Amino acid sequence: MLKRALAIISLLIIGYWLAQGLAGVPFGEDKMLVGQYYLDHVKEQTGAVNAVTAIVVNYRGFDTLGEVTVLFIASTGVGALLWRKKRERTAKTEGSIVLTTGTRLLVPFVMLFGVYIFIHGHLTPGGGFPGGATIATAFLLLYMAFITYEIPHKAFEKTEGIVGMAYVLVGLIGLAIGGYFLYDWIWQDWKFGADNIGRLFSGGFIPIIYTIIGLKVGTELSGIIDNMLKEEVSE
Amino acid sequence: MNGQYASLLIALPLISAFFVPLIKGLGKKAVKYYLVAITALQTGIAAWVFQQVYTSGEPIIVMAGGWKPPVGINLYIGHFAALFVLIVAAVSFMMAVFSIRAVEVEPIDKYAMLFLLLMLGATGMIATGDLFNLFVFMEITSITAYALTAYNKTGEAAEASMKYIILGGIGSSFFLIGVALIYGATGTLNMAHLAQLAGAIDPTVAQVGLALIVFGLAVEAELFPLNAWAPDAYQAAPHPITAMFSAFVVKAGLYAMARLLYIMQAAESWSSVLKMLVIMATLTVFVAEFAALRQRNVKRMIAYSSIAQIGLIALAFALGTQAGVDAGVFHMVNHAIVKALLFLAIGHVAVTLGGTSLEHFEGLGKRMPLTAFAITVGAVAAVGIPLFNVFWSKLRILLATLGAGYTWAAALVLIASVVEAVYYFRLIHTMWFAGEGGRIGEGVAVSVILLVLVALVIVIGVYPDYAWSIAQKAGSDIFNVAQYVKNVPLMGVGA
Repeated sequence: MLKRALAIISLLIIGYWLAQGLAGVPFGEDKMLVGQYYLDHVKEQTGAVNAVTAIVVNYRGFDTLGEVTVLFIASTGVGALLWRKKRERTAKTEGSIVLTTGTRLLVPFVMLFGVYIFIHGHLTPGGGFPGGATIATAFLLLYMAFITYEIPHKAFEKTEGIVGMAYVLVGLIGLAIGGYFLYDWIWQDWKFGADNIGRLFSGGFIPIIYTIIGLKVGTELSGIIDNMLKEEVSE
Repeated sequence: MNGQYASLLIALPLISAFFVPLIKGLGKKAVKYYLVAITALQTGIAAWVFQQVYTSGEPIIVMAGGWKPPVGINLYIGHFAALFVLIVAAVSFMMAVFSIRAVEVEPIDKYAMLFLLLMLGATGMIATGDLFNLFVFMEITSITAYALTAYNKTGEAAEASMKYIILGGIGSSFFLIGVALIYGATGTLNMAHLAQLAGAIDPTVAQVGLALIVFGLAVEAELFPLNAWAPDAYQAAPHPITAMFSAFVVKAGLYAMARLLYIMQAAESWSSVLKMLVIMATLTVFVAEFAALRQRNVKRMIAYSSIAQIGLIALAFALGTQAGVDAGVFHMVNHAIVKALLFLAIGHVAVTLGGTSLEHFEGLGKRMPLTAFAITVGAVAAVGIPLFNVFWSKLRILLATLGAGYTWAAALVLIASVVEAVYYFRLIHTMWFAGEGGRIGEGVAVSVILLVLVALVIVIGVYPDYAWSIAQKAGSDIFNVAQYVKNVPLMGVGA
């Protein structure tokens, strides 16, 4: 009781202190120093019509590379901690016929939609991360409906590594051609799709990077699901 | 060569970590030697960057994507970053060599990836010039640290990692709220741009934002109320990883804290945040030294000692004077060398003899004389005896503390140093004057690394001038914000 009261009181004090701080932030005023620059120049400088993806992949691409790494670490960490010599799925009840048939019909659609999201990252809301998560959802569905389903591990692990390297390689090619790491040479030097803004073949290297991220996120999240669903079996 | 190639410091560990799944079929040995090769390459690049920065005297500004800051993200590799990127890479290389013997727990391919990414995270934290990018690299560092802490898969390790995860998670949320507040008040995330605008921020917002950021970083930097995870994590993690935690992961957090503090020094409420940090740092030294006194497990004892030294560095950074910052950087360098030496030697004993409790160290002088000698040098240096490197930096920190007028803090730190001497000399006594035993082979690679580190300790101890001049340059890199802002090619957005 005393503990709880003390906790509530200290939370209230911290909350008040934060509110004091928030009260000093000028909301609704024109504080868009860097933001305005992005909005004014996004089309001519990156060829994307989706300002958020242009910032995330192009202007601040370094952060996205970091976030992809964070996800990679999460999946590697789960893999390291749950590693056992022999592990199998030990699920006991098969899903009902409605569930299994429904899953069979749904999975291709979910996958297709995931691919659609990450390919159109520079045009519509979304991008690599939601697209990849959608693809992983398809695999989660398969795991839920079938008691013996397993993803092809070897292929998934290798894909994960290869697309990760591809992201860094795109950055290094930028370093070689344009002199800067993660330099968007497709748009800045080649002007590829310059008369095509707002259509599929535009946006410099954003669609390429987002395809990489989509595949990476999809395989990683599926790997995490797979790791967490398996239990150790004695030989 | 073009300065932009310094971005390889980030690109190389990343691409090689992603490459590991493709070679894991080649077997355990191959993965371990691959790790050694990559860290050696990274050390080479870092040495090149160090040489560039220190001969030209100009920082290398890496602009990711070719966008000028504050629109894009820039890396700022000045005197400080160049020095510490080299330390990070060199320590990683040594620990990769040590890992060949020390890490037998499967899966080794995952270990190699996490190892490389830990090095990457620390390098990024030290090199970045952007507030949010700092957060991203901090997450990379801390999430790899969580996974590596639990890597041994014992119950103890899982518990340590759990504590670390919860505290670290809360800490980084605080940090993120702080970043959001500061972004809301200024409209920029670039550190140089922020330094220009800091004077105009509302004092309450600056105080709340800065305090939240300092609190968030204090978890990584192991300051007093938030460091309960550290001794457990140090004890439970694989031995090479413990050395990396102590030698550079903590330092990256501390440096980030110092950098952000001095960036915001134009803000009106700055000095109140400094006072809070002085109190936290002094308490860290005091509490950790007394906790170390009671330990029977040597690895845990050194872990507490490491926390105490970190508190000393934080104290130096919190003084707000040029002398303090220089002394703090000097101590960071010395501490990185000494603690890498100590954790490496103790890990080596644990791998050879099978444990780190005090009993395992009885008669070590007869069984493993070279390792025992290395531990002795490390221990004597850590206490701060003249002619060893830590003496000079501790002296400078004490003088700077007195110079800034914090007599009480200096007195408490001095008392704590006496305590430190007690437990280190108890360890030395146990090693040389108790127990019996015959010689045990000590392994060539680890012995060579130990000797190199011992030589460094003594050389810096006898000729401190060169190291001190480097530390002074690196210190003014943090303290002299006007110069920092001038070096970053800002493009004048919205001005």
